[in-house]
Amino acid sequence: MATPTPDHLAALLGVPVTRVEQLSGGASSATYAVDAVHGDATGSPWPLILQCAATGAVPEGGLPRADQARLQQIAYQAGLPVAEVVRVLGPTDGLGEGFIMARLPGEALAPRWLKLPDYAAARAALTGQCAAVLARLHRLPLASAAGLALASGSTAEGLARMFANYRRFGVDSPVFDLAFAWLRERVEDRPATAIVHGDFRSGNFLVAPDGLVAVLDWELAHLGDGHEDLGWLCCNAWRFGLWDKPVGGFGDRDALYQAYEAAGGGPVDRTRAHLWEVWGTLKWGIACLQLGDDHVSGRLRNVERAAIGRRVSEVELDLMHLLKFGSL
Amino acid sequence: MAEQIEATTLIEAVQLFLAELEPELSGRRAFHAKVAQNALAIVARELAQAPQATETALLTAVMGRNDDLDLLRAGLCADLRAGAKGEATPGLIDALLAVAQAKCAVDNPRYSTFKRLAAATTA
Repeated sequence: MATPTPDHLAALLGVPVTRVEQLSGGASSATYAVDAVHGDATGSPWPLILQCAATGAVPEGGLPRADQARLQQIAYQAGLPVAEVVRVLGPTDGLGEGFIMARLPGEALAPRWLKLPDYAAARAALTGQCAAVLARLHRLPLASAAGLALASGSTAEGLARMFANYRRFGVDSPVFDLAFAWLRERVEDRPATAIVHGDFRSGNFLVAPDGLVAVLDWELAHLGDGHEDLGWLCCNAWRFGLWDKPVGGFGDRDALYQAYEAAGGGPVDRTRAHLWEVWGTLKWGIACLQLGDDHVSGRLRNVERAAIGRRVSEVELDLMHLLKFGSL
Repeated sequence: MAEQIEATTLIEAVQLFLAELEPELSGRRAFHAKVAQNALAIVARELAQAPQATETALLTAVMGRNDDLDLLRAGLCADLRAGAKGEATPGLIDALLAVAQAKCAVDNPRYSTFKRLAAATTA
């Protein structure tokens, strides 16, 4: 697959393109900053982001990129803060699966906006803004995503899938098995009732000094229980050390739940939200196993993947704290 | 001293080398050099603290038998999957919390939950 060039993108977009620069690239995806120029008389700058699959394919379990772009556009049209999609790549575009969207100004590195004094007003506003986004997303009718390849399934099926995923790595973690048993005992089997972002956490927010600019990375969106997004947002891994602010390192749970209810998200079942927080913590632990397995299996051998496998012990400690003290 | 150059000395020497190299690196390689130094710090702590000995002792008590650590872990996991042991098993939660603390002390002693628990113990 070709590396995108300004000429290539200019041809795709039909406007001049002055710069294409790779921002990040992993095993599965690559992100490029694209500086285009509006084709109208103003000739004003048109900053864009190109996101495409590095190997030309989507990672396992992720939404096909065309569907991710469509869902992002549905969210945009529903008034949610997301980057507007301007072009979905097709098979003849020569860049694999991907799409081009608006590049919005803001800080994406959570440790920066969580800690820098400039972002104090943003941190104060974020709990309410996150609640409003989730309330609006979870209220969208399932039919609005008809035709998209969103994974679905009941909560019991989800738990069984997560256990099968854990067992793929051949690692025996008594803490993970205890957490699975704990969840099986408590999680009620419920059908999917909402469109869930699936990765709604501090690391996926674009933040300006006055608040939330956009919610990024819709790749793990699926149909499920809206409480999943509320629980995942509160997992300790996304607090970046600011553990006494359970909502992403910036807010309190009660404020989040109240704002979610006030914004029309429906009543929050506190117990269920807590179960999803335990579930999310376990899910992050299994993701660490998976990243470590990238190195062990030879799929992507490097020191970063090997080291992240050792983060399993952080998750084991969080799970034991949750099980012993009832909260984290 | 058994050796002039102990394993920990070699680790320190390689850490020093990586620190020398770092200013010459950029982007992904500079980041990986930092991760590599951190990985060596984990190895040094693991050699000093022997968390697997702690875990073996704790799991031996939970399982009521002597075995090597892999078999103790596998046996406990099998019991948990079969429901033969669970959250109500006496001593299990405290033992697994202590194992998790011993492992996190090696892997990331700066982790918030680790520091929180350590502060609660000394308070």
